[in-house]
Amino acid sequence: MESAASPVERRTGSKNWIDYIQKDLPEHLDWWPYTLGAIPLTLFGLLVTTGLLLTFYYVPSPDQAYESVEQITHEVYLGWFVRGVHKFSVDLMILFLLFHVIRVFLTRAYRTPGELKWVSGSIVFFVTLGMGFTGYSLVYDNVSYWGMTVVTSMLGNLPVVGLPLMYLLRGGEEVSGGTLLRLYDLHTKLLPVLLGGLVLGHVIIVRLKGFAEVKGSRGFHPFYPEHTLVMGAIAVGLLVLIVDLVMIFPPTLGPPANTQEVASDVSPPWYFSAAYMWITLLPGPLSLWSLMGGAGLFVVYPFLDRVLLERGWPMPFVNVVVGVLAVLVFVALMVLDVRM
Amino acid sequence: MAIIHDDLGRRRFLSQAVMGFGLLFGMGTLALRFLQFLVPSPKPKRYEAVLIGSLSRVPVGEAVPMDLSGQKIVVLRTNEEVLAFSRRCTDLGCLVSWSKEREQFLCPCHQGVFDKTGKNIAGPPPRPLDRFEVVTRGDQLYVNIQSS
Repeated sequence: MESAASPVERRTGSKNWIDYIQKDLPEHLDWWPYTLGAIPLTLFGLLVTTGLLLTFYYVPSPDQAYESVEQITHEVYLGWFVRGVHKFSVDLMILFLLFHVIRVFLTRAYRTPGELKWVSGSIVFFVTLGMGFTGYSLVYDNVSYWGMTVVTSMLGNLPVVGLPLMYLLRGGEEVSGGTLLRLYDLHTKLLPVLLGGLVLGHVIIVRLKGFAEVKGSRGFHPFYPEHTLVMGAIAVGLLVLIVDLVMIFPPTLGPPANTQEVASDVSPPWYFSAAYMWITLLPGPLSLWSLMGGAGLFVVYPFLDRVLLERGWPMPFVNVVVGVLAVLVFVALMVLDVRM
Repeated sequence: MAIIHDDLGRRRFLSQAVMGFGLLFGMGTLALRFLQFLVPSPKPKRYEAVLIGSLSRVPVGEAVPMDLSGQKIVVLRTNEEVLAFSRRCTDLGCLVSWSKEREQFLCPCHQGVFDKTGKNIAGPPPRPLDRFEVVTRGDQLYVNIQSS
């Protein structure tokens, strides 16, 4: 006699996969600090769409890269708009990822069983920064060219793996046309696939491990239609914001890369300017190691929190202090970069 | 979990282990070769003396930047001698420029400063600028550079 339950149901105790998605969500997810994770997700979709469009005109060769970006910006119908949406989406994606990280950090939502949520999310964050770097390298203006030189040199300073990694990224000893092609491949193929997989993984992990518990959040609502409506409203709001931003600040283009002379201002986009000032202010090896160490600590922070808590540290307070300090240092370095 | 003591279990384990390791080894070799495909091997280097022109090309107190088949160098003439440096900043590879007023080489990327002997005196650079030998034959200047 066959049982009425499907094999999946017998194994998981659930009816089918749709129940996982439709699983009730805690009430606090409607409160805006808890929607900050869905915003980068929406922007990621927008970036994939506009990025695909841009690949139809962009040419990844040192002779034509800059020209093709100029063509996109000034000649192609709505080219400026598509490029502008792409640019603002990445700025906002990184900004909201930062907000999301700050919210999770301050509420310590990474506590057991949420460690994997944090680790996967932090990798998403670093890969997004990698997308930012490879993306602005493609424009092939001065910031791109000297940015490629500096970042690949930094990686080259790492022990053991450094030099092979630098050769791998540059496609030779020096930054050349091969480097541009490699960064283009990373930006349009490898990293988007990786990022898409990581984002999907992050979302699945969050659903499986459950949302963080918040005091006073008692009610539940279903994913569809309540939660999807809220998310939809946020997505539409974001789209309106981005369209407005692009129309008010249409994308610009600096002078083309000069490989014989470093321009006076080669400071990177805002999300790297803190790191840029950091490596300017500190001697080479120290700045590199502190950045790598900081990134490593960031990834394993949930475990550090657990160890420190066991030793009696007041972690909620520590996190507020660390969070505020980190934001202040980040902003101070940015201001310093603008001033210099 | 029960431990299997019979020969059949051991035989199956061994054969699976051998196949597993073989597969891993094969895949690992393939992956390594693919990685080698992506990482270009460095080209052999040799030193050669490149003629850069007559002494009059470089006025006293000035530094002339040059690109010798991809090697970006700067030739500086002080009151005493003629020096040739690589323009590559020893910090992170940007190009330094000579400032006549300050008599220093400056890197605009991370504010590295080198004096007129190429010594790193301020900012992040960890070591002096790379220096090339300058040979004078009659009025002509030659620089011994590494070429590939």
